[in-house]
Amino acid sequence: MAATEPFPRVVDDVTQAGIDAYAELSGDFNPLHVDPEAAAASEFGGIIAHGPIALQSFLRAATEWLGVEALPAGTSVAVVYRAPTRPGDAIAAEPRSVTEREDGRHDVEAECVKQDGTTVVSVRAVL
Amino acid sequence: MSGDPPALSNVAYDDLVVDERLGPFTETVSADLAGRLAGAIGTPSVVSLAPPAVFPVLFLHALRRAMGGIPAGSVLAKQELEFHGTLEVDNDVEITVWVGNKEVKRGRPFVTIEFDIRDGAGEQLVTGRKIIVWRTGPVAEASAA
Repeated sequence: MAATEPFPRVVDDVTQAGIDAYAELSGDFNPLHVDPEAAAASEFGGIIAHGPIALQSFLRAATEWLGVEALPAGTSVAVVYRAPTRPGDAIAAEPRSVTEREDGRHDVEAECVKQDGTTVVSVRAVL
Repeated sequence: MSGDPPALSNVAYDDLVVDERLGPFTETVSADLAGRLAGAIGTPSVVSLAPPAVFPVLFLHALRRAMGGIPAGSVLAKQELEFHGTLEVDNDVEITVWVGNKEVKRGRPFVTIEFDIRDGAGEQLVTGRKIIVWRTGPVAEASAA
Protein backbone atom coordinates (compact mmCIF):
# COMPACT_ATOMS: atom_id res chain seq x y z
CA MET A 1 0.00 0.00 0.00
CA ALA A 2 1.14 3.53 -0.70
CA ALA A 3 -0.92 5.75 1.59
CA THR A 4 1.99 8.11 2.22
CA GLU A 5 0.16 11.16 0.86
CA PRO A 6 -2.73 13.00 2.54
CA PHE A 7 -6.11 11.37 1.99
CA PRO A 8 -7.33 12.91 -1.28
CA ARG A 9 -10.48 14.97 -1.62
CA VAL A 10 -12.65 13.53 -4.41
CA VAL A 11 -15.88 15.23 -5.49
CA ASP A 12 -18.67 13.43 -7.34
CA ASP A 13 -21.41 15.32 -9.13
CA VAL A 14 -24.73 13.52 -8.76
CA THR A 15 -26.92 13.67 -11.84
CA GLN A 16 -30.10 11.95 -12.95
CA ALA A 17 -28.05 10.45 -15.79
CA GLY A 18 -25.68 8.95 -13.21
CA ILE A 19 -28.61 7.65 -11.16
CA ASP A 20 -30.14 6.10 -14.28
CA ALA A 21 -26.77 4.55 -15.14
CA TYR A 22 -26.53 3.06 -11.65
CA ALA A 23 -30.05 1.66 -12.00
CA GLU A 24 -29.04 -0.02 -15.24
CA LEU A 25 -25.79 -1.37 -13.82
CA SER A 26 -27.32 -2.63 -10.58
CA GLY A 27 -30.82 -3.57 -11.72
CA ASP A 28 -32.23 -1.42 -8.90
CA PHE A 29 -35.13 0.48 -10.42
CA ASN A 30 -36.69 1.45 -7.10
CA PRO A 31 -39.15 4.26 -7.99
CA LEU A 32 -37.49 6.48 -5.38
CA HIS A 33 -34.54 6.66 -7.80
CA VAL A 34 -36.07 6.66 -11.25
CA ASP A 35 -39.74 7.66 -11.07
CA PRO A 36 -40.17 11.41 -10.39
CA GLU A 37 -43.90 11.17 -9.68
CA ALA A 38 -43.62 8.25 -7.29
CA ALA A 39 -40.61 9.83 -5.60
CA ALA A 40 -42.45 13.13 -5.22
CA ALA A 41 -45.28 11.34 -3.43
CA SER A 42 -42.86 9.60 -1.04
CA GLU A 43 -41.56 10.83 2.31
CA PHE A 44 -38.51 12.16 0.41
CA GLY A 45 -40.53 14.50 -1.78
CA GLY A 46 -38.47 13.79 -4.88
CA ILE A 47 -35.82 11.62 -6.49
CA ILE A 48 -33.05 10.35 -4.24
CA ALA A 49 -29.88 8.65 -5.44
CA HIS A 50 -29.05 5.04 -4.66
CA GLY A 51 -27.10 4.91 -1.39
CA PRO A 52 -23.84 3.66 -2.94
CA ILE A 53 -23.75 6.70 -5.23
CA ALA A 54 -23.28 8.87 -2.16
CA LEU A 55 -20.42 6.59 -1.09
CA GLN A 56 -18.63 6.64 -4.44
CA SER A 57 -16.47 9.68 -3.68
CA PHE A 58 -15.06 7.89 -0.63
CA LEU A 59 -14.37 4.65 -2.51
CA ARG A 60 -12.61 6.61 -5.25
CA ALA A 61 -10.56 8.51 -2.69
CA ALA A 62 -9.64 5.29 -0.86
CA THR A 63 -8.36 3.50 -3.95
CA GLU A 64 -6.55 6.62 -5.14
CA TRP A 65 -4.91 7.01 -1.73
CA LEU A 66 -3.76 3.40 -1.67
CA GLY A 67 -2.70 3.53 -5.32
CA VAL A 68 -4.81 0.47 -6.22
CA GLU A 69 -7.77 -0.42 -8.42
CA ALA A 70 -9.29 -2.82 -5.89
CA LEU A 71 -9.35 -2.67 -2.11
CA PRO A 72 -6.97 -5.39 -0.89
CA ALA A 73 -7.63 -8.24 1.51
CA GLY A 74 -7.93 -7.10 5.09
CA THR A 75 -9.62 -3.80 4.31
CA SER A 76 -13.18 -2.95 5.31
CA VAL A 77 -15.70 -0.15 4.96
CA ALA A 78 -18.67 0.51 7.25
CA VAL A 79 -21.18 3.17 6.31
CA VAL A 80 -24.13 4.95 7.87
CA TYR A 81 -26.41 6.82 5.46
CA ARG A 82 -27.38 10.08 7.15
CA ALA A 83 -29.33 12.05 4.57
CA PRO A 84 -30.62 11.61 1.03
CA THR A 85 -28.55 12.57 -1.99
CA ARG A 86 -30.34 14.16 -4.92
CA PRO A 87 -29.63 15.09 -8.53
CA GLY A 88 -27.66 18.32 -8.58
CA ASP A 89 -25.70 17.54 -5.43
CA ALA A 90 -21.91 17.54 -5.36
CA ILE A 91 -20.61 14.98 -2.86
CA ALA A 92 -17.11 15.32 -1.44
CA ALA A 93 -15.30 12.70 0.63
CA GLU A 94 -13.65 14.47 3.54
CA PRO A 95 -11.37 12.66 5.99
CA ARG A 96 -11.95 13.34 9.67
CA SER A 97 -9.14 11.21 11.08
CA VAL A 98 -6.49 8.86 9.74
CA THR A 99 -4.59 6.74 12.25
CA GLU A 100 -1.90 4.26 11.35
CA ARG A 101 -2.20 0.87 13.03
CA GLU A 102 0.61 -1.38 14.19
CA ASP A 103 -0.04 -3.72 11.24
CA GLY A 104 0.56 -0.91 8.75
CA ARG A 105 -3.07 -0.45 7.86
CA HIS A 106 -4.99 2.71 8.73
CA ASP A 107 -8.17 3.46 10.62
CA VAL A 108 -9.95 6.09 8.57
CA GLU A 109 -12.99 8.07 9.61
CA ALA A 110 -14.54 10.19 6.90
CA GLU A 111 -17.74 11.85 5.84
CA CYS A 112 -19.29 12.35 2.45
CA VAL A 113 -20.60 15.90 2.47
CA LYS A 114 -22.94 17.81 0.18
CA GLN A 115 -22.23 21.25 -1.19
CA ASP A 116 -24.29 22.81 1.63
CA GLY A 117 -22.27 21.03 4.31
CA THR A 118 -24.82 18.31 5.04
CA THR A 119 -23.23 14.97 5.86
CA VAL A 120 -24.90 12.32 3.73
CA VAL A 121 -22.64 9.38 4.65
CA SER A 122 -20.44 8.63 7.64
CA VAL A 123 -17.63 6.14 7.01
CA ARG A 124 -15.37 4.08 9.26
CA ALA A 125 -12.83 2.12 7.27
CA VAL A 126 -9.73 0.03 7.71
CA LEU A 127 -7.43 0.67 4.73
CA MET B 1 -28.36 -9.64 -15.44
CA SER B 2 -29.06 -13.29 -16.12
CA GLY B 3 -32.55 -14.64 -15.54
CA ASP B 4 -34.21 -11.20 -15.77
CA PRO B 5 -36.26 -11.31 -12.57
CA PRO B 6 -38.90 -8.60 -12.13
CA ALA B 7 -37.57 -5.13 -11.31
CA LEU B 8 -39.47 -4.83 -8.04
CA SER B 9 -40.88 -7.18 -5.45
CA ASN B 10 -43.33 -6.72 -2.64
CA VAL B 11 -41.93 -9.27 -0.22
CA ALA B 12 -43.56 -8.53 3.11
CA TYR B 13 -41.56 -8.09 6.28
CA ASP B 14 -43.51 -10.93 7.89
CA ASP B 15 -42.54 -13.30 5.06
CA LEU B 16 -38.79 -12.78 5.45
CA VAL B 17 -37.14 -15.92 6.87
CA VAL B 18 -34.04 -15.28 8.97
CA ASP B 19 -30.93 -17.35 8.12
CA GLU B 20 -32.40 -19.00 5.02
CA ARG B 21 -29.56 -19.09 2.47
CA LEU B 22 -30.54 -18.01 -1.04
CA GLY B 23 -28.27 -18.84 -3.96
CA PRO B 24 -25.50 -19.07 -4.81
CA PHE B 25 -26.24 -16.90 -7.80
CA THR B 26 -23.66 -16.69 -10.56
CA GLU B 27 -22.86 -13.23 -11.89
CA THR B 28 -20.24 -12.11 -14.39
CA VAL B 29 -18.07 -9.11 -13.57
CA SER B 30 -17.39 -7.77 -17.04
CA ALA B 31 -14.71 -5.24 -17.86
CA ASP B 32 -17.49 -2.86 -18.90
CA LEU B 33 -19.35 -3.17 -15.58
CA ALA B 34 -16.16 -2.74 -13.58
CA GLY B 35 -15.01 0.19 -15.70
CA ARG B 36 -18.28 2.06 -15.27
CA LEU B 37 -18.00 1.77 -11.48
CA ALA B 38 -14.35 2.76 -11.08
CA GLY B 39 -14.73 6.51 -11.42
CA ALA B 40 -17.77 8.73 -11.84
CA ILE B 41 -20.76 6.39 -11.97
CA GLY B 42 -21.48 5.26 -15.50
CA THR B 43 -18.37 6.80 -17.05
CA PRO B 44 -16.34 4.13 -18.87
CA SER B 45 -12.77 3.49 -17.81
CA VAL B 46 -10.31 0.66 -18.27
CA VAL B 47 -9.54 -1.47 -15.21
CA SER B 48 -8.09 -4.91 -14.70
CA LEU B 49 -9.43 -5.51 -11.18
CA ALA B 50 -12.98 -5.02 -9.89
CA PRO B 51 -13.17 -1.70 -7.99
CA PRO B 52 -14.94 -1.70 -4.62
CA ALA B 53 -18.15 -0.18 -6.02
CA VAL B 54 -18.71 -3.39 -8.00
CA PHE B 55 -19.61 -5.36 -4.90
CA PRO B 56 -22.68 -3.39 -3.75
CA VAL B 57 -23.89 -3.76 -7.34
CA LEU B 58 -23.35 -7.53 -7.25
CA PHE B 59 -25.26 -7.60 -4.00
CA LEU B 60 -28.19 -5.86 -5.66
CA HIS B 61 -28.08 -8.33 -8.56
CA ALA B 62 -28.26 -11.23 -6.10
CA LEU B 63 -30.92 -9.55 -3.95
CA ARG B 64 -33.09 -9.03 -7.01
CA ARG B 65 -32.74 -12.68 -7.98
CA ALA B 66 -33.27 -13.93 -4.41
CA MET B 67 -36.41 -11.90 -3.76
CA GLY B 68 -37.91 -11.81 -7.23
CA GLY B 69 -37.10 -8.12 -7.57
CA ILE B 70 -35.65 -5.26 -5.57
CA PRO B 71 -37.86 -4.71 -2.50
CA ALA B 72 -40.05 -1.80 -3.56
CA GLY B 73 -39.74 1.35 -1.52
CA SER B 74 -36.91 0.05 0.65
CA VAL B 75 -34.27 2.53 1.82
CA LEU B 76 -30.65 1.76 2.64
CA ALA B 77 -29.65 2.77 6.18
CA LYS B 78 -26.26 1.13 6.74
CA GLN B 79 -23.76 -0.89 4.74
CA GLU B 80 -20.65 -2.87 5.66
CA LEU B 81 -18.09 -4.46 3.34
CA GLU B 82 -15.14 -6.69 4.25
CA PHE B 83 -12.63 -7.37 1.50
CA HIS B 84 -10.89 -10.75 1.47
CA GLY B 85 -9.39 -10.83 -2.02
CA THR B 86 -9.36 -9.13 -5.39
CA LEU B 87 -11.08 -10.14 -8.61
CA GLU B 88 -9.83 -9.77 -12.16
CA VAL B 89 -12.49 -8.50 -14.53
CA ASP B 90 -14.31 -10.80 -16.96
CA ASN B 91 -14.71 -13.48 -14.30
CA ASP B 92 -17.73 -15.08 -12.68
CA VAL B 93 -18.57 -14.86 -9.00
CA GLU B 94 -20.96 -16.82 -6.79
CA ILE B 95 -23.15 -14.81 -4.42
CA THR B 96 -25.14 -16.13 -1.49
CA VAL B 97 -27.57 -13.83 0.36
CA TRP B 98 -29.69 -14.28 3.43
CA VAL B 99 -31.70 -12.31 5.95
CA GLY B 100 -29.45 -11.96 8.96
CA ASN B 101 -31.90 -10.16 11.20
CA LYS B 102 -35.16 -8.27 11.21
CA GLU B 103 -36.44 -6.05 13.96
CA VAL B 104 -38.58 -3.02 14.60
CA LYS B 105 -36.70 -0.11 16.16
CA ARG B 106 -38.31 3.19 17.02
CA GLY B 107 -41.36 2.06 15.09
CA ARG B 108 -39.47 1.37 11.86
CA PRO B 109 -38.84 -2.11 10.37
CA PHE B 110 -35.12 -2.78 9.82
CA VAL B 111 -33.90 -5.81 7.86
CA THR B 112 -30.27 -6.92 7.72
CA ILE B 113 -29.34 -8.67 4.48
CA GLU B 114 -26.03 -10.55 4.59
CA PHE B 115 -24.06 -11.50 1.53
CA ASP B 116 -21.04 -13.63 0.67
CA ILE B 117 -19.27 -13.28 -2.68
CA ARG B 118 -16.77 -15.92 -3.85
CA ASP B 119 -14.73 -16.43 -6.97
CA GLY B 120 -15.08 -19.41 -9.29
CA ALA B 121 -12.69 -21.43 -7.15
CA GLY B 122 -14.78 -20.85 -4.06
CA GLU B 123 -12.37 -18.37 -2.48
CA GLN B 124 -14.09 -15.66 -0.48
CA LEU B 125 -13.79 -12.20 -2.06
CA VAL B 126 -16.16 -9.95 -0.15
CA THR B 127 -18.59 -10.37 2.71
CA GLY B 128 -20.92 -7.76 4.08
CA ARG B 129 -24.37 -6.67 4.93
CA LYS B 130 -26.91 -3.99 4.29
CA ILE B 131 -29.38 -2.75 6.83
CA ILE B 132 -32.49 -1.69 5.02
CA VAL B 133 -35.60 0.13 6.17
CA TRP B 134 -38.31 -2.15 4.84
CA ARG B 135 -41.34 -0.59 3.24
CA THR B 136 -43.78 -2.75 5.17
CA GLY B 137 -43.47 -3.55 8.84
CA PRO B 138 -45.15 -6.36 10.74
CA VAL B 139 -48.79 -6.77 9.75
CA ALA B 140 -50.09 -5.26 12.98
CA GLU B 141 -48.05 -2.09 12.46
CA ALA B 142 -48.61 -1.88 8.73
CA SER B 143 -52.36 -2.03 9.18
CA ALA B 144 -52.17 0.70 11.80
CA ALA B 145 -50.20 3.01 9.49
